[in-house]
Amino acid sequence: MKKLITAFVGSMVLTAAPVALSAEATKELKMAYDADPVTLDIHEQLSGGMLQLSHMTFDPLVRWTSDLKFEPRLAKSWERIDENTMRFELREGVKFHSGNQLTSKDVKFTLERLKQSPDYKAIFQPFSELKVIDDYTFELVTKEPYPLLLNTATYIFPMDSEFYSGKTESGESKSAITKHGNSFASENMSGTGPYIIRDRQQGVRVEFERFDDYWDTESPGNVGKITLTPIKENNTRVSALLSGGVDFIAPVPPTDLERIKRDEDSSLVTMSGTRIILFHMNQERVEAFKNPKVRQAIAYAINQEGIAAKIMKGFATPAAQMSPRGYQGFNESLTPRFDVAKAQALMKEAGYEDGFTITMMAPNNRYVNDDKIAQAVAAMLARINIKVDLKTLPKAQYWPEYDNRAADMMMIGWHADTEDSANFFEFLTFCPNAETGAGQYNAGKYCNPELDALVNQANVETDRDKRAAMLQEVEQRLYEDAAFIPLHWQDLAWASKENVKIEPVLNVMNFPYLGDLVVE
Amino acid sequence: MTTATVSRWDRFRESFLWYSFKRDKVAIVSFVVLMLMVLAAVFAPLLAPADPYDLAQINIMNSELPPAGLAGSDPAFPLGTDAQGRDMLSTILYGTQVSLMIGFGAVVLQAALGILFGLLAGYLGGRVDAVLMRIADVQLSFSTLMVAIIVGAVFKASFGNLMFGEIAIYMLIFIIGVSEWPQIARTVRASVLAEKKKEYVDAAKVMGFSTPRIMFRHILPNTLSPIFVIATVQIANAIISEAALSFLGLGMPETQPSLGSLIKSGFDYIQSGSWWITLLPGLVLVVLVLVINLLGDWLRDVMNPRLYKG
Repeated sequence: MKKLITAFVGSMVLTAAPVALSAEATKELKMAYDADPVTLDIHEQLSGGMLQLSHMTFDPLVRWTSDLKFEPRLAKSWERIDENTMRFELREGVKFHSGNQLTSKDVKFTLERLKQSPDYKAIFQPFSELKVIDDYTFELVTKEPYPLLLNTATYIFPMDSEFYSGKTESGESKSAITKHGNSFASENMSGTGPYIIRDRQQGVRVEFERFDDYWDTESPGNVGKITLTPIKENNTRVSALLSGGVDFIAPVPPTDLERIKRDEDSSLVTMSGTRIILFHMNQERVEAFKNPKVRQAIAYAINQEGIAAKIMKGFATPAAQMSPRGYQGFNESLTPRFDVAKAQALMKEAGYEDGFTITMMAPNNRYVNDDKIAQAVAAMLARINIKVDLKTLPKAQYWPEYDNRAADMMMIGWHADTEDSANFFEFLTFCPNAETGAGQYNAGKYCNPELDALVNQANVETDRDKRAAMLQEVEQRLYEDAAFIPLHWQDLAWASKENVKIEPVLNVMNFPYLGDLVVE
Repeated sequence: MTTATVSRWDRFRESFLWYSFKRDKVAIVSFVVLMLMVLAAVFAPLLAPADPYDLAQINIMNSELPPAGLAGSDPAFPLGTDAQGRDMLSTILYGTQVSLMIGFGAVVLQAALGILFGLLAGYLGGRVDAVLMRIADVQLSFSTLMVAIIVGAVFKASFGNLMFGEIAIYMLIFIIGVSEWPQIARTVRASVLAEKKKEYVDAAKVMGFSTPRIMFRHILPNTLSPIFVIATVQIANAIISEAALSFLGLGMPETQPSLGSLIKSGFDYIQSGSWWITLLPGLVLVVLVLVINLLGDWLRDVMNPRLYKG
């Protein structure tokens, strides 16, 4: 018997030797999110769900650690050459799922594709070019000094240029980005990430399998197979975890935090989040929204603290601006201004005492309690005689409607991609411009070129204090103008079975690094 | 002969219906409970402390208060509040009203269609019978819920939510009424087939009465008792169908909750402490359907000629 064990251990050592520390990826993980990825093209949509998918099937140049520092991934090291240029060394021997080797030209291909993407182009607008020095060295060049270059590099997930080049059988370019369409990239994928998608039935299940030739042999991750099932109903998702049907769920509804804490076999991780939930008021669709008094009236009618306390059960921070505490743009003096009498007075001043009817849309499986928040907002608007025709939809149907700006008030949640205030403004309040991608998610059509200029100026300002002052002024003026209706910053919560060690792979961006997940 | 002086009320008091009702405790209790619920629902606007349809009256800060007697309750809300801060008592009263309206409305529509087609099919027979009964067969092969879901989704998409909210109640009456008429039509047809061979029908024919007159004035009154029985049960079914549709999110909008949509809106909270949002309207629904079904059972026993004449 002893002999047998020694032989067994010996063989283990032998097989383990060539892959150094890499754990045998034999564990299975069943997880449930509120929704599954809407497409496989990571450049089609800029959303939390797509970035979560990117971190599973691709790898970024650098990524955030849980304490918000940069961690080298596909880029081994980087150094500043001059104020507009950063030189990156690429890791060698990294393979794509297709078997191709990762080289600098793949990164160049990816950056060019990002600049084509309607959703991403605004983020990559400061970059002028990518200079390939050799196969494993390249330089990122910006038009002007750009303080957020590395922050942006966390969004560069190099794609397999060979795989995504050429034409499909029907003659379309394989690199094409089609929103809500059937492009080659939306159905096929080749990245460098820890997982390959084996099977995908939209809305039913996605099956991931560990990539055998994954470059990061030091990753402690030992999960070989992941099954992602979308479960939209909060209650059902929590029950699935508690009954043992799944091992890992996100998000956890605020009503059920206590229930999971009480359960001995489950563990709960919460973090205070930086994702702002807000409503846009479409000025092009509703004449009254052009009047700042009406917008202010709405801002005064909404009880952010009530929503945060009652619907979110204190699991959110009431907001009066977009930048959360700790961001440069965070303006201490701005607080929620709930006052129904003032709101009614403003409506009267604006000449809309008798109110009007508007349409409202919100997703029902994207943000925590999104549909209930929308219902509460509709009820609050009834107090100032604004009648709301509310429609809530699953996110797969919501985003196409959002892109069409299909309702007068639309809900969106935004997490700053660069962990910086300017990103909020660029996407949510800039004058919409399809060419530069500015205001790509500005469903309010609010447009104030003066503020846009101020943000652009802040973007090239390298003095932190001056930059913060500029961004805070922007917040202040947006607040006075009631350009949008901020609700709260949503806290984050994940829950898993006790043996699934999720805490080390989680972060405030809500990008779980599942490649490094350890299951005991 | 004293028939001329006997009023309808006296005739009713001498009838077998009243006689058996007086002796059946279950029927009496069911009837009293049903009447109380109907009255409460009809006078909901007077009885309810708040108007749950007026969004301006609800306050998010009052959400999820427990019913009176539990820790943290507020005397202003005897049955507690739901997740949006609506008073549960008022919402249940209004919800019962909506559910009953849909139940009765749908059955009136079913009965109208079912009696007309059943009479035509049974009395005229032949090709008319074949066509109508095949239509009924096709209709019966779709489940009510499926038809209702499809029609509801189409209407919702084409009218927008606000408009749908205003017409939702009529829509549901229409959907449930239309999809259930074959039940009544078949019963009527079967009775008509038995009746039309009797002598009084022949006599009426010989006297030269028109076909519609024979159908509606002579045959119909003799087929009424099974219709009453089935209609009672169908009211309960219609209420349940409406609750199921609302629970699936295809019935009454959340801003005008019926019992079904109330149950749905509390479903997220049932395991997290706020059980009353789902449980109270659920109890009301169960009691309502139960008493109607018990009355239906009793009526079936009474109207079955074999039980009292034989």
